Amino acid sequence: MSPEENPSDLAPHRFQKRGFSYERAIKYFFASNAGLTIVILALIIIFLLKEGLGFFPGYQRELQVYRIAGLEFVDISRKNLTAHEQLTSVLNRAYYAEINGRCIKQMRRSQEASALFNAYTDQTGPTRDLVLNNSQAASSPNSEMLKNLKANYEQQKAKALASLTATPHLTQMERRDLIESVRSRAVNDTDDPLFVTTLAEEFTAAQHKQAEPLQALRSTIDSFSSAGSELSSLVSEMTESVIATKEKIQGADILEKDRKTLLAAASGAKDPVEREKLMTEARTSLADKPDVEGPIQLLLEHRPDCIKAHTALRDASTRIIGQLPSSLTQLEAARLLKAARHSWPFFIADLEKTPAAINAWKPDAPVPLTDSISSFLTGKDWVTGGEWQDFYGILPLAAGSLMISIVALVLAIPTGIGAAVYVNQFASPWEQSVVKPIIEFIQAIPSVVLGFIGILVFGTVLRDISLWDSLQWIPGFPLEERLNIFTAGCLLALMSIPTIFSLAEDAINNVPSAYAEASEALGASQVQTTFRVVIPAAFSGILAAVLLGFGRVIGETMVVLLVAGNRIKIPDFTAGLGTFFQPCHTLTGIIAQELGEVPMGSVHYRALFVVGILLFAVVLTINATAHRFVNKMKH
Amino acid sequence: MIERLNPSSKDISIAVKDLDFSYGSSPVLKNIQLDIPENGVTSFIGPSGCGKSTLLRCINRMNDEIPSARITRGDIEIGGVNIYDSSVDVVKLRRDVGMVFQKSNPFPRSIYENVAYGLRLRGERDKAVLDQSVEQALHSAALWDEVKDRLQESALGLSGGQQQRLCIARAIAVKPRVVLMDEPCSALDPIATAKVEELIWDLKHAYTFVIVTHNMQQASRVSDKTAFFYMGEVIEFSDTSRMFSNPRFRKTEEYITGRFG
Repeated sequence: MSPEENPSDLAPHRFQKRGFSYERAIKYFFASNAGLTIVILALIIIFLLKEGLGFFPGYQRELQVYRIAGLEFVDISRKNLTAHEQLTSVLNRAYYAEINGRCIKQMRRSQEASALFNAYTDQTGPTRDLVLNNSQAASSPNSEMLKNLKANYEQQKAKALASLTATPHLTQMERRDLIESVRSRAVNDTDDPLFVTTLAEEFTAAQHKQAEPLQALRSTIDSFSSAGSELSSLVSEMTESVIATKEKIQGADILEKDRKTLLAAASGAKDPVEREKLMTEARTSLADKPDVEGPIQLLLEHRPDCIKAHTALRDASTRIIGQLPSSLTQLEAARLLKAARHSWPFFIADLEKTPAAINAWKPDAPVPLTDSISSFLTGKDWVTGGEWQDFYGILPLAAGSLMISIVALVLAIPTGIGAAVYVNQFASPWEQSVVKPIIEFIQAIPSVVLGFIGILVFGTVLRDISLWDSLQWIPGFPLEERLNIFTAGCLLALMSIPTIFSLAEDAINNVPSAYAEASEALGASQVQTTFRVVIPAAFSGILAAVLLGFGRVIGETMVVLLVAGNRIKIPDFTAGLGTFFQPCHTLTGIIAQELGEVPMGSVHYRALFVVGILLFAVVLTINATAHRFVNKMKH
Repeated sequence: MIERLNPSSKDISIAVKDLDFSYGSSPVLKNIQLDIPENGVTSFIGPSGCGKSTLLRCINRMNDEIPSARITRGDIEIGGVNIYDSSVDVVKLRRDVGMVFQKSNPFPRSIYENVAYGLRLRGERDKAVLDQSVEQALHSAALWDEVKDRLQESALGLSGGQQQRLCIARAIAVKPRVVLMDEPCSALDPIATAKVEELIWDLKHAYTFVIVTHNMQQASRVSDKTAFFYMGEVIEFSDTSRMFSNPRFRKTEEYITGRFG
């Protein structure tokens, strides 16, 4: 349409008359959207910082109370007591591992027979109970209902008999007899089959027999165990008194806080009568300064007893290490004994250092703010909601997150990049059209569903596999925990493979085809071209893919919450590669698990915010680094 | 398997015999007959889309990678060996028939590694041999004096003309016998173009060059023989001096005098 035909086209639009046009309106619409996003992001960061940074002064006060009330003093002794208990437990485990290892055959036989029987009763139990209950209640034993129930029971029984568990350590004959005795059991028979009890008795007898030559070890362990009793009773006595002091201080703190609120309200009140009333209330609620001096003096009087108990325990321990056998015959027992022997010198060294620490301890030493920061960042304990003392140390969580990420990346990097190289460089068009959507489809699985599969299928299967005799050379097998770092890492690997795959494939795809052409014209084969030209050219893009995969893994919450086992403890690295089969907790998981339950504004609540800030910073750094690599590739 | 194309003979002439070539169902080259002599420069000229580059890429079988492209009739012999014979290893063929592309395409690594690439592919690990070959190739490509102090720097830092000469050095470092050039100067300024042409002139006693070009002056300056392509056919193939002074066909004359193209 030309202007001559419709001259009004040239006239300004009615919006334009008011200094406004469609184009500008559209521009402002998008500008305001972008602006809103930035504002919201800024608000989130401000909120995080506001809630989080209040943590450090709050934690400082908690640590101060911990010191003033004397909890710290008690913990000096308790630390050694805990170490003593752990050593005792390791020795006991070694003792039982030795005995059970020596009668492994009887143990397996007994376990297999009772496992078979238990699986059978689990399956038939409910229908059997129905028959029993109704045969007592029914007046005529031949009623129609009872018949049906009996038929149902028989059916269930046949089904259970058809799917009995394996018993590799029983002979064919024994198994047949056992099954026969199970089959012919009367409905109301509640005893275990004779064969099962016999095997259990055989096992117990074997244990007793094997325990005889180990009597010396037994009494050594017992004497070590009882060597700690003096220190133990002293610690529990002191515990009670310091807890009482702590509660007094905390009570006073709360009153003081309320009084401040009242005073603030009073100074804000306009009505003079109202103000006077609030002031009076504040004055009456003025807390008595809690009596700290008295209990602390009492506590400090325990000093000589404490030191004496430590010296006694040290002397006993030094003697007992000499009485322990140098090794044991069973693999697991020998490993445990070696671990105990290894940590023994550290235990004794700690005992020796303790008296000095006890003497040096002062209840009124100041707690600077930096202490609360450093004990957050380097604290080895995350203990919350206990009546003793809350500690917010991030190391166990950070270690868990890191270990899971290592497993996930070790699995996902070769798989993701390998798949990307194959699909882009070697696959036929048909393979490309199948493989790419399938790998990208993994991303569509909601992480909670993946976690669900992880618990029910993967965790169980992995533990069953870990029981195979042929795999016992793998450290950490058989698994103690079904949910552990490795299971979580495997699932996270599955989740990060699509990320790494897609981005790495893009990076490889973005390598100019001229490079490949030049290489081929020089007589390079396809494989040579891929590995000598294409992959090096795509390297920074592939690195970015890996980093973004790492960001995805460390920020993932649902799967780790469900599958990592959620034990808040720094993994025991002395287990070597077996460390990866221990349960752990993560930075993300702890927030998801605890934030809903903590009182708003408490120190614990704020601690979770600081964890959030930390995660935010880590993921932001990773992503920023990844983008730098991507940009580097573009130029 | 044939190790070199025909090691006994020094003959590296290229003979294209009754060649038909098509992409899918559309024919691109029709009944091409060419006898390209050895140790000289042969230019392919002609308007865009007439099949010059396609024929060039047939000589080292770069078209093998294109799924729908195939030779429907005829064959190409180099030194008497049919390069489309099933016994010819395409990787080895390309070691004898090097190629330089229209757009310079050095690898994103050091100058040294670019030139050494072909040798390393061949499994050459001896540092002394590599050093010597790299230096020699860079000398041949008249690039040595410009880059000798920065061999370990990225090749992408070179100017366009230097990059193209580096690509030539990379192609001749493996001592091919035929060098194919697909419009090697189309992206270069006149000075860089002159340098590349000089280079071809200096090297032609040792190699057989085949050059696709849109630049008539270039064809007349550097080549001994010229083939004029039109609509997938070779209209005229003769000594360059003769074609440019006294073309036999009217189409040729129209093209070289710039009446179409």
